[in-house]
Amino acid sequence: MSVSQAAGARLKGVPLIDGLEKVTGRARYTTDLDHADALVGRIFRSPVSHGEMIHLNVAKARALEGVVAVVTGDDCPHPYGVLPIAMNEFPLARGRVRYRGEPVAAVAAVDAETAARALELIEFSVRELPAYYTSEEARATGAVQLHENKPGNLEREVHHEFGDLAQGFAAADLVREEQINCAEINHAQIEPHACLAAFDPLSASLTVQSVSQVGYYLHLMLSQCLEMDSSRIRVVKPFIGGGFGARVEVLNFEIVTALLARAAGGKVMMQLTREENFLTHRARPQTNVKLRIGMRRDGRITACQCEVIQRGGAYAGYGIITILYAGALLHGIYDIPAVKYDGYRVYTNLPPCGAMRGHGSVNVRHAIECGIDRMARELGLDPFEVRRVNLLHAPTRTLSGLIVNSYGLGNCLDVVERASGWRERIGKLPRGKGLGMACSHYVSGASKPIHFSTGEPHAVVNLKLDFDGGITALTGAADIGQGSSTMVAIAVGETIGVSLDRIRVVAADSAVTPKDNGAYSSRITFMVGNAAIDAANKLKAILVAAAASKLDARAEDIACAGETFWVGGAEQSSLHFADVAKAALADRGTITVSGAFTCPPEYQGGKHRGGAVGGTMGFSYAAQVVEVTVDEATGKITVDKVWAALDCGRAINPLAVEGQIQGSVWMGMGQALSEETRYVQGLPMHASLLEYHVPTIAESPPIEAHIVESHDPFGPFGAKEASEGALAGFPPALVNAVANAIGVDMDELPLTPDRVVEALVERRRQARLASIRGAA
Amino acid sequence: MTALIPRLRVVRPRSVEEAVAARCKHLASSYIAGGTDLLVNLRHQLRSPELLIDLSQIDELTEIRGEDQGIRIGAGVSLAKLAAHLTVAADYQAVKEAAETIAAPGHRVLGTVGGNLCLDTRCIFYNQSGWWRRANGYCLKHLGDVCHVAPQGQRCHAPFTGDLAPALMVLGAEVEIAGLQGRRWIPLPNLYVEDGRAHVALADGELIVAVHLPAAGWRSAYSKVRVRGAIDYPLAGVAVALAVKDGVTRLLQIGLTGTNSRPFLLSGTEVAIGRAIDDSLLQDIDRLVQKQVQPMRTTIVSAQYRRLAAAAIARRLTERLFLESISYAS
Repeated sequence: MSVSQAAGARLKGVPLIDGLEKVTGRARYTTDLDHADALVGRIFRSPVSHGEMIHLNVAKARALEGVVAVVTGDDCPHPYGVLPIAMNEFPLARGRVRYRGEPVAAVAAVDAETAARALELIEFSVRELPAYYTSEEARATGAVQLHENKPGNLEREVHHEFGDLAQGFAAADLVREEQINCAEINHAQIEPHACLAAFDPLSASLTVQSVSQVGYYLHLMLSQCLEMDSSRIRVVKPFIGGGFGARVEVLNFEIVTALLARAAGGKVMMQLTREENFLTHRARPQTNVKLRIGMRRDGRITACQCEVIQRGGAYAGYGIITILYAGALLHGIYDIPAVKYDGYRVYTNLPPCGAMRGHGSVNVRHAIECGIDRMARELGLDPFEVRRVNLLHAPTRTLSGLIVNSYGLGNCLDVVERASGWRERIGKLPRGKGLGMACSHYVSGASKPIHFSTGEPHAVVNLKLDFDGGITALTGAADIGQGSSTMVAIAVGETIGVSLDRIRVVAADSAVTPKDNGAYSSRITFMVGNAAIDAANKLKAILVAAAASKLDARAEDIACAGETFWVGGAEQSSLHFADVAKAALADRGTITVSGAFTCPPEYQGGKHRGGAVGGTMGFSYAAQVVEVTVDEATGKITVDKVWAALDCGRAINPLAVEGQIQGSVWMGMGQALSEETRYVQGLPMHASLLEYHVPTIAESPPIEAHIVESHDPFGPFGAKEASEGALAGFPPALVNAVANAIGVDMDELPLTPDRVVEALVERRRQARLASIRGAA
Repeated sequence: MTALIPRLRVVRPRSVEEAVAARCKHLASSYIAGGTDLLVNLRHQLRSPELLIDLSQIDELTEIRGEDQGIRIGAGVSLAKLAAHLTVAADYQAVKEAAETIAAPGHRVLGTVGGNLCLDTRCIFYNQSGWWRRANGYCLKHLGDVCHVAPQGQRCHAPFTGDLAPALMVLGAEVEIAGLQGRRWIPLPNLYVEDGRAHVALADGELIVAVHLPAAGWRSAYSKVRVRGAIDYPLAGVAVALAVKDGVTRLLQIGLTGTNSRPFLLSGTEVAIGRAIDDSLLQDIDRLVQKQVQPMRTTIVSAQYRRLAAAAIARRLTERLFLESISYAS
């Protein structure tokens, strides 16, 4: 195990290989693509929350001069969705609308004005049904069902129990219950959704360029929804301005754009407004967490019982996975002998929720880390010590069947405790200032893919070495800014011993690159990284054989590094990479090799129902300390500094890892401090970057990122994921810091100034009542 | 930007008189200075002028000039320029503090003094897209007949959220207004009416040309609450001006924004005159603020918070200025 501060001694890492294009403005995002001859697509959205469609007439819109195509639910009778067992959504509503903003029809016109006018001409009426905006309303007896096969408006109920809960609580010296609620949030990725679809009537082929994180799922859904042979469809990913899970499932507007392009027999550009981005949503649901934890006097956790209710919105999306993750990731971070989980995913008349950075784990982790902190306080224990007595010991298998092979959480704790000066400072800060800490973890890729689960490899990378001496790495993995293409280049370069500028990465074009499952669940470094290494080893073997032949030596005696091949121990007879490549190419022409990776079945989760979710080959671990100042008069919280340590196995690119730690912490800060969605009768009040409060640079604290390397036995070069694990620790560390600063336990996220003031007013009220009672 | 701005014409007059004449001639016209408020409202289909009268080419509007008795700030002066002006920073601290915290740096380069004074009132039911407001049946402020904030009431409660107005008010500002009949001067508080639908008392075509501030004789400060430290409009903003002599208050003015449909001067602050600022006086101020502000559910953040925060800032600024005055005097 080794510990190094990011940008430390070993290797600083390299800037992302596409960074220059981005900072110089050369990078082409979807809306930058050539759409001079494209029609403008616009979507007509339901103005009501819930209703049976009784009338939809698009004749006047269709008749408007300049309108080339109009499509409705009649044009696509096929549902789409990320889970084969829960595809209950159509790209355009059919028969019923279930949330305000649901797409009902779409137009393609010669320009934006005409498209806007056409939307005005669409006649739409419904027989309104009761609408439910909270989990409680939707679950109430007698509530109208949003979906016929889902009584009680429950998309999924999960009940898992591992270990002996009664015995666990009986062994506890302290049992504490918490009710902690987290507001719904949104990814608020900077680039709004956009899609450019071109249908060529002559060849009956479709090319779609979109912001998707999962281009190959888009490919699959387009084929199903448009009833097209998939070989006639090409999906290309341009540069993407942020994903965070917003594009981790196929989105309605993508299919709608393709439907319009086919109907128009041409090219259609669809650009959604920021409001439409919020309506498309698919982010972290409003969540109620009810928690019961048993703890011994020494801090050892004896049992944990957790009930989670997620307000899921109108359609399934990723919902089943989210509610399963919330329970699955109760495991794999601490050694808890008994764990019970009850999860409820609820349908409501709001935009559908989905996956968001830290998928499923964040709100539950928040509640638990707050709960542990409060119990530590009650027992007079240091919160670091409480975490330490509950650490796992790798390798191990959790009660729920998850495998932990590498585990650097203890080191993460040591690092942030030392860096923040915790021991010297805790309890000695003036009133209004506080320190808080928390831990978190996340999977390095979901081991069991969805839809694509028929035994095919989980990741494939192809390499091409040609007469120009360049190596082209072909990967279907979607670089969404996280640096996955750079990771592929480094993996190939390190393995073959060639410099990065010899490697060209071509990514995410279904006509060119090998299929990949996409950028979700932090799978790319682990799976695609291993596939890249596999491919590179195959290419290296060919080069080594060529070098051996030229040097008249045995292949096993050939060493290579720094673009040079030599016979071990005899450096004088060395060959440059170019000569070796030439020799290899002379034998066989252009060389193409393919590498693959598949997670073995034992890593694909537990045997229980839903047990596949949470299954992964490696968990990342993180600990962080947050320092705050709280202004009790205005309720304003200032985050003064954050120390975060992440065990990412091994940092293949420390510079990128540091960036991801900072980004995770920062995104956790947004959820903790200020981000929330608010609806009024199903209309989003927050649907702009003015009212949806993503932190600004004014809120951004110094973040000290530390990389902890636990060298995972199966990760590429020992690496695990680095992009999500450090998020979930921030909100509880903040809440714990606020408790340390002003002595108030906040049970609602986010900690906006009004909530802080309200809590302080309530505390004064309680104190007054207590003093009155004392006096009487 | 995918929300459309309707097609419109733009004229660029070179003088105030030309601008006023153009505005009076075309009913469906609007002045535009920085555009930071107007353009967003155009995209939201809240305004639909056919003609924009761009004020950026009128030299008179863009000057800051010292006068015998104070300073004259052109209405077209950018917020960034105002915040960086040395005299403003030295003598009118509240104005500087208000200007330098408006929105974000980009807005301050474009946004102007006149624009900030004439900012449209804001409400969570009003500052939404056309689709949104139509789905919600519109509202009293625009196209509808119900206020969603106070459905029983007859008036619009959208609050004014400009930062400059309270800061200028506590320092005794007057505004110079140009109209077809020539120029007139009014005290800044008289520019505003407590009506979210029509909160600026300008006649058709009238244009704010400049703000006059009298010579400085007091300390002043401005502070506000908002969820984020940039971009956001104030949930409540407070400016305080204080003059102290021999350890007691000679003058106290408190201006408020973000809570009512107009920015206003707190009445009753004369209780402070002749007294030192102590806890009991601060409590009086707290009570005065809480009584006179009228925050409604026009923001995502609760109205009660805005009331409490306004009072808390008023107390804090008053106390701070008093302590500074005393330590400066001694």
